Amino acid sequence: MNTSAWHMLLEGAWTTVWISGVSIAIGVVAGLLIALIRLARIPIVDQLLVLYVSLARATPLVTLTLFIFLSAPTFGINLNRNVTGILALTLNTTAFNAEIWRSAFRNFSREQREAAMAVGMTPWITFRRIMLPQLVVTSLPGLVNEMSFLIKGSPAIAVIGIVDLTRVTNRISAVTYEPLPPILAACALYMLAIGCLVWLQRLAERRANRLAV
Amino acid sequence: MSETTLPETAAVSIRQLSKSFDGVEVLRDVNLEVAKGEVVTILGSSGSGKSTLLRCINWLEQPDRGSIHIAGQRIGVDDAGRPMPVKTLARVRARTGMVFQSFNLWPHLNVLHNVTEAPIHVLGKSKREAEEHARALLEKVGMSHKADAYPNTLSGGQKQRVAIARALAMQPEVMLFDEPTSALDPELVGEVLAVIKDLSAEGYTMVIVTHEMAFARAVSDQVVFLEKGLIIERADPETFFTNASTERVRKFLERES
Repeated sequence: MNTSAWHMLLEGAWTTVWISGVSIAIGVVAGLLIALIRLARIPIVDQLLVLYVSLARATPLVTLTLFIFLSAPTFGINLNRNVTGILALTLNTTAFNAEIWRSAFRNFSREQREAAMAVGMTPWITFRRIMLPQLVVTSLPGLVNEMSFLIKGSPAIAVIGIVDLTRVTNRISAVTYEPLPPILAACALYMLAIGCLVWLQRLAERRANRLAV
Repeated sequence: MSETTLPETAAVSIRQLSKSFDGVEVLRDVNLEVAKGEVVTILGSSGSGKSTLLRCINWLEQPDRGSIHIAGQRIGVDDAGRPMPVKTLARVRARTGMVFQSFNLWPHLNVLHNVTEAPIHVLGKSKREAEEHARALLEKVGMSHKADAYPNTLSGGQKQRVAIARALAMQPEVMLFDEPTSALDPELVGEVLAVIKDLSAEGYTMVIVTHEMAFARAVSDQVVFLEKGLIIERADPETFFTNASTERVRKFLERES
């Protein structure tokens, strides 16, 4: 592989990283919001969210990406490729994250909540000061797991022409006629990204040990 | 019990309190006045409703009928008889302090921050002021050497003493103890009871649910016996333990001693 091939590869890697990164960031927060709204059990809203979560979890990423890309114009919405890619990844990961947050909420200690009420904390202060710090730590293994699934699923966005880390290896080998080196390099870069996430998870688990009473 | 105590001056005033769980009445027309500085112990066999009664006082359980006033202020229901807004309820609750059987410390905060959390975020105290007060309270319960430790490194007795400091930090009108030593190994019970005894000597108002008879006798001004949700005996500790008027209480005391 020559310098221009490496250059292309790194550009593809960057595309994967930033599109996944934006989707993860939105997806983690949106998942938390959906979990909170679902805990409030608002009629109709709750059913709609259940429908969304089951649809998003059941649809393959490639299909979802294509669907958004092809259906947006019929609704008169003009989405560029990157936005479409982010939207698809976000819709997918949010659904999984919502379930992760929700189960952490449901399993949160009633005793600790009662202790917070007993000292006069409002539900909001209890959430903010007592629950959230612990929920983040307990949910993190699941969330990081989901992040790595998202990164590994991200080549799906190539279906609408985004040149990500996987797609770019095709382009390089079309010029160099050597398919193996770029795909090997791509694998190494995926492993690096996932490796960073796993390291983050270990860090969190060390902190989580303290929570085991 | 002093009949002259007005509800306005009583630390806790419970009137005609009733509560059912799934059709089973656990509290029936309970009346109880706790004067300022008084220590009231609630005794009874398990399932008699004593924990429920205690948990109604700070509205962790909602009674079906009756009223509870904390230092003259009604809890749970506003003047028009509607359920209190959550913020108002939280404010009234803050005037009571509760110590739980299973301690219920917050594991993500160290000992000092378990104690300062509510004063800072509920009362709006400054961090410095809250920590100063917290350190004094930890000193009082003999836990100042563990201020930086996390709850999972403490023994049960130490956890409970921190939980007492946490409740005291809100400077409540009344302290509620829900079987504070029932989850402790026998050799750790003494250190927690000693702290509660100190508090009674300092004039704290307390309502205590316990199975420790000798302790109840030593610390109480008034002993109340609950049976199937009814108060069937109330007396000063001497009379209660030596000369109870009901057969049921005498049986209970025989079994417990």
